[in-house]
Amino acid sequence: MSEENAVAANDENVATPETDEPKRIPQPDKITNKDLMKSWFGWWWTNEIPHTFDRMLAPAFCFGLIPTLQKLYKDKDELAKAFQRHLLFFNTQATWGGGTLTGVTISLEEARAKALANGEEPISEDMINNTKVGLMGPLAGIGDSIDSGTVQYIFIAIFLPFAQQGNFLGALLPFLCFAIATFTYGFYFTKMGYSLGRSAAKEIMTGGRMAGIIDGLGVLGLYMMGILAGQYIKIQSYLKFTISHKTFDIQQILNTILPGALPLVAVLALYWYFQKQGLKITRGLVYLTLALVILSSFYIL
Amino acid sequence: MHVTLTIWQALLIALWVALVESRILGFSTLTMRFSPLMTGMMVGFIMGDIKQAMIVTAAIQLVYMGFVAPGGALPAEPCIATAIAVPVALLGHMSPQGAIAIAVPVGLLGSYLYQFRFFLNTFALKPMDKYAAEGNARGLKFSIVAIPTMISFVLFIPLMFIALYFGAPVISGVVANIEHGTLIHVLNSVGGGLAALGIAVIMQVIGKKQLLPFFFLAYFMSVAFAKLQINMTIYAIFGAIFAILYVMFTSKASDKQ
Repeated sequence: MSEENAVAANDENVATPETDEPKRIPQPDKITNKDLMKSWFGWWWTNEIPHTFDRMLAPAFCFGLIPTLQKLYKDKDELAKAFQRHLLFFNTQATWGGGTLTGVTISLEEARAKALANGEEPISEDMINNTKVGLMGPLAGIGDSIDSGTVQYIFIAIFLPFAQQGNFLGALLPFLCFAIATFTYGFYFTKMGYSLGRSAAKEIMTGGRMAGIIDGLGVLGLYMMGILAGQYIKIQSYLKFTISHKTFDIQQILNTILPGALPLVAVLALYWYFQKQGLKITRGLVYLTLALVILSSFYIL
Repeated sequence: MHVTLTIWQALLIALWVALVESRILGFSTLTMRFSPLMTGMMVGFIMGDIKQAMIVTAAIQLVYMGFVAPGGALPAEPCIATAIAVPVALLGHMSPQGAIAIAVPVGLLGSYLYQFRFFLNTFALKPMDKYAAEGNARGLKFSIVAIPTMISFVLFIPLMFIALYFGAPVISGVVANIEHGTLIHVLNSVGGGLAALGIAVIMQVIGKKQLLPFFFLAYFMSVAFAKLQINMTIYAIFGAIFAILYVMFTSKASDKQ
């Protein structure tokens, strides 16, 4: 009996520092309330600073996650992969969408990091991406109308009489109230998202329905991308020409054949390019910009 | 009417606008950008007449009441409008209504500048991909915060300084000329079209070709129903229902096997 114990203990000793598997991924650190605050603050602070056309607010989201991801992924390759997956297109509203998704994403990343370290089947990258993409649109819709559409104007309306009388508090108070209110409930959403995400992550890991859930989130994600594409991409033709006193307006003709054809052509052309050439985002960006600049300088677009 | 500020006053106001438009002060700069109030206060402070500045600003605020930016795109830039209109009103002893007349066209021009910032960011933020691939957190943080901030400062400070120092009448003229020009048309087209890139990237990342019909379904729903102005939450509910149905039917099929 004592020998058995000794062997088991010995085995463990050998396994942890070296040998066995060629590469062992170290255990992640525990995520604390302070880490959630750090990530929430990082996202809140940088929210609109690195706004770009191709990724929208993704760099800010990634910025917020950096300290948490560093605690989760002690392995350089996994850390790099995590950074890269959070730099992809992401657009949502700061508190309702961003707060909640910061929490949810951290919990999913935590579950993935733990599983990787224990050599179990981890939550896939697809799962994390699809969750974010599926939820960002609806949460943005809620957040925009509440934060910038309602909360902001309530504070402005309350304090505007001060401004009309020439008092600087009429400017300072709406700003401070809005800043404090949104920061506070945004952090609440982060914590809520984290605990919701943790229970969801547990369910995913134990339920054995992973493939179905990933597919379901993929459907939701692609569906929301379709909606965003329809609402966001503004490409139309300004080309008009006259043949024997009859004016042809290309956009009007397109509208009668297939409304929304041009934005769809742009997306599908890029999709096709990425399929053929691999995910060369910068090149796609340059080609698309060149095409848009050239076509619009001649008022074709 | 000849309008000037001292160099230092013009520079300080330009710096304030750059701070707001770079968004370096955090998410709450939203109120600074959407609402003219804080900018009016700063201009009043810099020019030494907070009281009159606030009265003019309150009038401008009423014009911009209820502005919402779906997806971050404002039809005008109240902060920039105020930074020009309030000094002009103070120096020219104009009525608040007169200030509004200046603020509105300047605000329109400002919204193009804010869009132009996204455009510059799109190219200038490339180093972050390199740092991410290396797992270099410090480089990543630097490129995400410092580069776009510098771009905003380089973009907004000189323009605002010139605009303030050389006066509003010039500005109104420039706005009128540029508004229908080819340059703005090209910028609008590029701005409207580049969103296709991020969406195509996500489609690639989600990856499953057999799920693509849901993209087309949603795309044509949103095109067909555009006039109904359906709220994003309703679309998301549709999406969730389709997702649940898909999983239900596909898992049923595999159970039978």
